[in-house]
Amino acid sequence: MALSQEKLLELYRKMVTIRVFEENTAELFAKGEIPGFVHLYVGEEATAVGVIAHLKDHDYIASTHRGHGHLIARGGDVKQMYAELFGRKTGYCKGKGGSMHIADLSLGFLGANGIVGAGLPLIAGAAFACKYRGDDGVAVCFFGDGASNRGTFHEALNMASIWKLPAIFVCENNMYAISLSQELHQNIDDVADRAAAYGLPGISVDGNDLFAVYEAAEEAVKRARNGDGPTLIESKTYRWRGHFEGDPVVYRTEEELQAWKKKDPIERAKKRMMETGVLTEEEDKAIWEEVRSEIQEGIEFAKNSPLPEEESLLEDVYCE
Amino acid sequence: MPEMTYLEAINTALREEMSRDPSVFVLGEDVGVFGGCFGVTQGLLDAFGPERVLDTPISETAIIGASVGAAAAGLRPVAEIMFMDFMGVCMDEIFNQAAKIRYMFGGKAAIPMTLRTPCGAGLGAAAQHSQSMEAWFAHIPGLKVVMPSTPADAKGLLTSAIRDDNPVIFIEHKMLYGVKGSVPDGEYAIPLGKGDVKREGSDVTVVATSLMVHKALAAAETLAEEGVEVEVVDPRCLVPLDQDTILKSVAKTGKLVVVHEAVKSGGIGGEIAAIVAEEGFDFLDAPIRRIGAPFAPIPFASNLEKAYIPSEETIIEAVRSLA
Amino acid sequence: MPTVGIIANPASGKDIRRLVAHATVFDNLEKVNIVRRVLLGLEAVGVTRLLFMPDYFGIIQRALEGLTGDYSLKMDVECLKMPLTGEQEDSLVAARLLAEEKVGCIVTLGGDGTNRVVAKGCRQVPLVPISTGTNNVFPSMVEGTIAGMAAGLVATGKVAPEVALTRNKKIDIYVNGSWEDMALVDVVVLKEQFVGSRAIWHERKIKQVVATCGEATNLGITSMIGALHPLPPADPRGMAVKVGTGRTKVLSALGPGLIKSVSIAEYRFLDPGERVVVETIPCVMAVDGEREVEVGSRDRVELVLNCDGPLVVNIKATMDAAARRGVFRCTQGHGSS
Repeated sequence: MALSQEKLLELYRKMVTIRVFEENTAELFAKGEIPGFVHLYVGEEATAVGVIAHLKDHDYIASTHRGHGHLIARGGDVKQMYAELFGRKTGYCKGKGGSMHIADLSLGFLGANGIVGAGLPLIAGAAFACKYRGDDGVAVCFFGDGASNRGTFHEALNMASIWKLPAIFVCENNMYAISLSQELHQNIDDVADRAAAYGLPGISVDGNDLFAVYEAAEEAVKRARNGDGPTLIESKTYRWRGHFEGDPVVYRTEEELQAWKKKDPIERAKKRMMETGVLTEEEDKAIWEEVRSEIQEGIEFAKNSPLPEEESLLEDVYCE
Repeated sequence: MPEMTYLEAINTALREEMSRDPSVFVLGEDVGVFGGCFGVTQGLLDAFGPERVLDTPISETAIIGASVGAAAAGLRPVAEIMFMDFMGVCMDEIFNQAAKIRYMFGGKAAIPMTLRTPCGAGLGAAAQHSQSMEAWFAHIPGLKVVMPSTPADAKGLLTSAIRDDNPVIFIEHKMLYGVKGSVPDGEYAIPLGKGDVKREGSDVTVVATSLMVHKALAAAETLAEEGVEVEVVDPRCLVPLDQDTILKSVAKTGKLVVVHEAVKSGGIGGEIAAIVAEEGFDFLDAPIRRIGAPFAPIPFASNLEKAYIPSEETIIEAVRSLA
Repeated sequence: MPTVGIIANPASGKDIRRLVAHATVFDNLEKVNIVRRVLLGLEAVGVTRLLFMPDYFGIIQRALEGLTGDYSLKMDVECLKMPLTGEQEDSLVAARLLAEEKVGCIVTLGGDGTNRVVAKGCRQVPLVPISTGTNNVFPSMVEGTIAGMAAGLVATGKVAPEVALTRNKKIDIYVNGSWEDMALVDVVVLKEQFVGSRAIWHERKIKQVVATCGEATNLGITSMIGALHPLPPADPRGMAVKVGTGRTKVLSALGPGLIKSVSIAEYRFLDPGERVVVETIPCVMAVDGEREVEVGSRDRVELVLNCDGPLVVNIKATMDAAARRGVFRCTQGHGSS
């Protein structure tokens, strides 16, 4: 790994963008401006950014209900994202999907998903398509520790392993499956251990360390492109917000949250980038300012966008 | 036109579409070396190789999930679920993923996949290997549901299903696999959503699906001897449903019997009856009769299974009661 | 009351070396099994009290739950009262508490990293390090049963310290004049930006190595030392190596299945107390095989070889001595003394 200053700043800015996007979303949701359910990615930024940094244009991603971070890391357009959250015609899904179904096929982004663990077999299929076409494409699936208890996890890892599919399964272990802590929902500490059952390598990384995730993903992606098959990466991290906005979070302690906040992935990356002269305090301020105004523009765009016409209700149920 | 079995017709459609379009591939349990549980995919592995004919682990969820992912990524998977009864195992992938992705994504994705599966009782396979669950799928916006009754329809409809950009549930009847009929040579595609009048008649309309089409035709022969002319309509597709052909027939006969092998209660026959009641009430000269299986799981013992499956005699009696 | 402490690290055995090399996968349930064998070994030689570090996975509790019927333990078992962070810090705190409790021996399950942290806190308490991986120099690949027995023999005083124990060397790390950390085996200076995923597998990034020992049978950076000039742990000297363009190239097993040719610019032996200045700044330093210390562009770093490392139980010497003294001879029924 040798990251250029330019690349480092790009990754850092993406983490900041996710953070600011999500914090604003929380606020807008609290004010009642966003309907439905939203699940925020605050605190987990390093995983999306560290993994997606290695993807090429023709690669695929399957995301989760907590999907905003993945799309931003992939270069998604925050205007269309906010417009979708607001249920506007100009949104990614013309207002038909909302937060849990944002997709951008032009970025190989096969969508957030409202069903926990649903992305795993989908990404086995997308990885199969890459292999079938014989390009060097890879497919990445993000999912949580909770999803690792679903049958989809086991079936997809097994299938990807026997067919040596170019897939990278990234478990964002944020220690909670909704309200159930990991120790109550599985009898293992490391989801990575489960890889052995399917004959693929499984590794655990510090998910709050951008560079740890970056390196792990670099090797896994390399392995997939070389035709050596899938990898399971367990990224140990923590969500700062509840499972969904409005979650009273009665199942964990404030001390635990504060301990994890001390491991803020953005602060950690910033500290090291400053130590090595990649970033100065002024440059950092400028990045946050620029991102904040980009996010404000996105919100304004969404608010000023029209609602979808009622006639569109029956559009796109089928391809013509 | 060559004579071939329903099974051979499906096999032919698969071969032709795989030859025509390199993005078509087949996957499922035992579809390769074994040639499919009922032999439908026989010979495909030799013809197209293991890259395009994939034997999967016993993982229905992964079979359909991977088909959805591959379809979203631009391929045209044709997945086989060995028995329709196993579709509960992969239901999320069908009804929350395949069916809804296009709509949820604002029309920005297509899922051009076909899911082939055999339904139907008659082999003494009991409650978990004999069911007809088509109504489940017809209830889900985003899916197309096809149920061919003849070899020719099987070929023509499967060809269209594979070419269709939507997810299509293609339901074969396992008791029809050996049924012979003439099938058009070469490229043959029947548009999805076009019903077929299998026998013309003026007295009573019988709308029947899949195997029941054959029972309805046999019943019509018997009834013709009694001077009752039955028109047998095969919708062929449940979604989209050819309402016009059904209504036109009822307009002619004024009487309707709907027959399917699935459990009567909550079955697709209720939907067809309701459509006719809503759209063609004035055509009706008698109450609509529905025939379907009783509200019980499918029994094993031969005599019980025979009593369970709607019979030719039941159809005859229903028609007589209206004629 | 002969007491033994046990520190089992649940986090070892699943890092990126499973991907970049072909390292063993070590799941926590296997650690539970090892602990069971250790506990049975301890009890067989007369240990009556056990103190252990808690961990999120509950390695020791699970081990205890599995010891029932014929395998039930008679010893008193206590969990250390300490806050859990899930970080390396836990092992350090546990080692300090065990030293305060004056346990006779500490059994560790983990790699070089775990033992380094324990060594920082254990003072004069001897260690029995059991390796839970293939990429370690300090802990040995030893069967839990035998390791438990050896630990028990030391804790019960059945084998004298002068026979059983060996004093290890260490390397102290000073950043800008103040002590920052220590290594049991090696400090590797890498031209690298980040700690990242911790392991070392790009040989081109290695700039300097300071090691306490190194044999050709080692796996890891010290295999380089072994390839240049074998330096057993018993030798009081250390070695400093500069990696770069040089005429000397050595074949070095940097990790499991990861054998690379490394170009050596120069190497020299170090005497105890000798200092080495880190020349690549900024850099990342790997300590006992894991990238650990991030050095900024204005920092000055010195590495010092010292002989006051932890005491370690020599398992073979201990068991042999016990056998010669007749400790294992059963006078009545089953078991000893």
